[in-house]
Amino acid sequence: MKYSEITIRFCGIAGDGIVASGKILAGACAKIGLHVMVNNIYSAEIRGLGKSSATIRFSTSKLYSMGDGLDLLVGMVSKESIIDLRDVKERGNVIYDTSTIGDVVEEDSLVSHITPEIQGHGLPITKLANEASGTNQGKNLVAIGAICYFYSLPPEMFVDQIKGLFTRKGERVVEINIKAFRLGYEYFKENYPLNNQFEIDKRSKPRKLTSGNDAIAKGAIDCGLKFFAGYPITPATKIMEIAAKELPKLGGWTLQMEDEIAAIGAVLGAWFAGKRAMTATSGPGLSLMSEMINLSVMAEIPTVIVNVQRGGPSTGLPTKVEQGDLNIALYGGAGDSPRVVMAPTDTEECYSGIQLAFDIAEKYQTPVIFLSDLFLGQRTETVTIKENIDRDRCTRKKPTSEQLKNFLRYQITDDGVSPLIVPGEPGAVYSTTGLEHSAKGNPNYESDVHSMMTAKRFRKFDSMVADLPTADILGDETAEIGIAGWGSTIGSILEGMEIAKKQGVKTKLIKSIMIHPQHEDSFRKFFDSCKKIIIPEMNYQGQYAALLKSRYGIKPIEIHIPAVNPVSPLKIAQKIMETNSELSQ
Amino acid sequence: MKHVIIGAGVAGITAAKTIKELDRNAEVVVIGDELFLPYKRYLLSEFLCNSIRRKELFFFPMSMLKELGIRLRNGTWVKAIDPSKKEIKLFHNEVVHYDKLLIATGGSPGLGLVLQPYKKYIHFYYSLYDTLVLKEKLPEIRKCVVFGDGVSCLDLICMLRNLGKQVTYITKGERATFALDEYNFEGELHEFLEEKGIEIITADQIVSIEESDHGYKVESIQQTMLTADIVFAWDYYKPNISCIEGSAIEKKLGILVNVKLETSQKDIYAAGDCVEIYHPGIKDYWINFGLPNALEQGKIAGKNMLGQHEEYKIQEAIVFNLMGQSLKARWWK
Repeated sequence: MKYSEITIRFCGIAGDGIVASGKILAGACAKIGLHVMVNNIYSAEIRGLGKSSATIRFSTSKLYSMGDGLDLLVGMVSKESIIDLRDVKERGNVIYDTSTIGDVVEEDSLVSHITPEIQGHGLPITKLANEASGTNQGKNLVAIGAICYFYSLPPEMFVDQIKGLFTRKGERVVEINIKAFRLGYEYFKENYPLNNQFEIDKRSKPRKLTSGNDAIAKGAIDCGLKFFAGYPITPATKIMEIAAKELPKLGGWTLQMEDEIAAIGAVLGAWFAGKRAMTATSGPGLSLMSEMINLSVMAEIPTVIVNVQRGGPSTGLPTKVEQGDLNIALYGGAGDSPRVVMAPTDTEECYSGIQLAFDIAEKYQTPVIFLSDLFLGQRTETVTIKENIDRDRCTRKKPTSEQLKNFLRYQITDDGVSPLIVPGEPGAVYSTTGLEHSAKGNPNYESDVHSMMTAKRFRKFDSMVADLPTADILGDETAEIGIAGWGSTIGSILEGMEIAKKQGVKTKLIKSIMIHPQHEDSFRKFFDSCKKIIIPEMNYQGQYAALLKSRYGIKPIEIHIPAVNPVSPLKIAQKIMETNSELSQ
Repeated sequence: MKHVIIGAGVAGITAAKTIKELDRNAEVVVIGDELFLPYKRYLLSEFLCNSIRRKELFFFPMSMLKELGIRLRNGTWVKAIDPSKKEIKLFHNEVVHYDKLLIATGGSPGLGLVLQPYKKYIHFYYSLYDTLVLKEKLPEIRKCVVFGDGVSCLDLICMLRNLGKQVTYITKGERATFALDEYNFEGELHEFLEEKGIEIITADQIVSIEESDHGYKVESIQQTMLTADIVFAWDYYKPNISCIEGSAIEKKLGILVNVKLETSQKDIYAAGDCVEIYHPGIKDYWINFGLPNALEQGKIAGKNMLGQHEEYKIQEAIVFNLMGQSLKARWWK
């Protein structure tokens, strides 16, 4: 068969080298110039031999999501891989280990669950790994070798990847892994000579792999992040790891605090002292930060909080994706507590979006909650990021020399933004508090002062709209079916729209990194042009739909998916087709 | 009751269908080593020549398999049978229990000691997988060397010639006869094939194969040197019975069964090309090879596995279906 797109999943337990498998396969495919997306799923337990999987999708054209279904499942372990069989497409393939030690009962055997619609290919993974290394090490490379032959991918690219990944572990490790790779390749060549052809454009240039978390960290550093404070939490920890590695090289600091409350406290302190600062967390951490976010609102101290969403509530599903934190991001605070909420829709936007978050936070002296999610944050993909490096940038509204003489930290202005200094600036007194305050910054509980200051804090949101990007309208402008989405769901929506398009159904999409505030006119105009509006999102309540309904008075068709895995484009396409049928009646 | 059938060929799948037709509640599991739905092997050449489409090869579509409630497990094979525990062990160490077992593993071509070292240079033409591989290679193939006997060999050389390939056929015999019986052409077949442009080398056999820059170099016992883009060869055709090794199921060349197709072990039956049945006429066991026999034995085995007592009538000749035509052969080696 000829392929221009493949999705492969490695399924195993800790120690099987599942994540490394994804890295090697993705790395080799990116080097060939293919578009690649990788999603790792692992168990939440830190200890023990939990199940893990790496799904790699590669294609000759741009990818927006993990798509639907698997072309190949590699079951490194039997029992744990059974559930993944349901994701294998009809006429898809399974590679399984034929050299497992000890008897396997029928119910626990992956092979016994393979239906005739799927083709099973036995590969003595453990045996060949032992032949290569004398131990079970290299099992993943045996499977990768088989895959390389099975899809006619260039073996030399894989050898390069193996060298790149294992050279630091010594020459022998490299040799063992290359041998394991070759044994798998030769086994398939001999036993399953009928391989598939993957259409590779030899003119394609190598592509670079990155993740949403990488892009956020890099984007923040490139726009002047000087201080990071955080507390480790899945799936946001990678951002802190990068900051810890990179910031000291640039004269910055990273602090691991005792908890999330301390982390945001430290970040507020850094901003107070005039440094661009950030923290990164997930749902449980954001809950803890609520009060300090309110301090940021009230004291008008800029803050950037990255929330890489995972399944909730509570500890919830630490290693699964969900978009359930929109409500807490928008409304999670006492009093009238306005904050900016942004949600990048892809990895490129993670980079450019976080820079915008810093600029807005600093200019408008407000907390910005940057809502990524586990799928967007952790997936690795080939993207072209337009670098924008300016580590000295400053968007702070500084006082004039006249204003400085009688400095009013909370001076009432038309745009709601008061001039901001760094404490200790000669000639000025910087007074601030979490209590309601006067323009000078002294506590004041008078009703008219509170009304005036609240209005000022909200007025900033009207002013900032001019600085915000407008919403993007994608698809067919003449379509009667409109879709509104947010965050990483956008990728699945785009692919769902493409499936519908192939069925002759036109759709259009409105997407914006800005959740609050938004360019409302463009949304209104879009909704007015649609006969039906679909809003898919990965949460039970339909949190984004609720926001849009209250804001624009629309009556959308809602798809609420309390997700564990990224949304299926097919599911969205089905809803589009249903909606189209209703419209045609 | 769980009926496990090893082999998804004609005999196996016929038995499975028979069981389900007679007892809808019976659990039937068919274990086949090939990756496909059960197919008609005798149509492979027509498929290769594009005379029929792939889906026409199959006995029935997936939907019918589901409708019948037959669980097909393809791409796997059995490495051991333990009649005392009523268990079979698959090659990946999975243990499957059975109440009644049918062995219908068929037969396959094999290589003798001389050709064994050259196995990697030899293309087999037996399964659908072999055929699919061949189909991919065909456009680049010009010259073929074929060594072997039997009707399937005749089928192969005719097909290759029909596709316009240059064919050299090597046979150990004095003439190319293919052991055909009661067939008008028998006496003239050798000349007929030569007239069609097939080069026939008689009283000879391949002794070595070497890979060259542009294919293979083939040397025969008579020191004939040939070049070829592809080499097909087999020395014999034998029952596939490796799964019964160490199981106490009686065997000779094939699995020995009585006329009810019962083996020497309780609740284990065998049918098709893998069995030998006692022939009172020749006072020895022999294999009733070929499609019609496999069909018949599959039906009888299926019924008897459900407790019936049907007997198989020994066939005097071995029947083949060659390109849609029924041919009888005398014997096979």
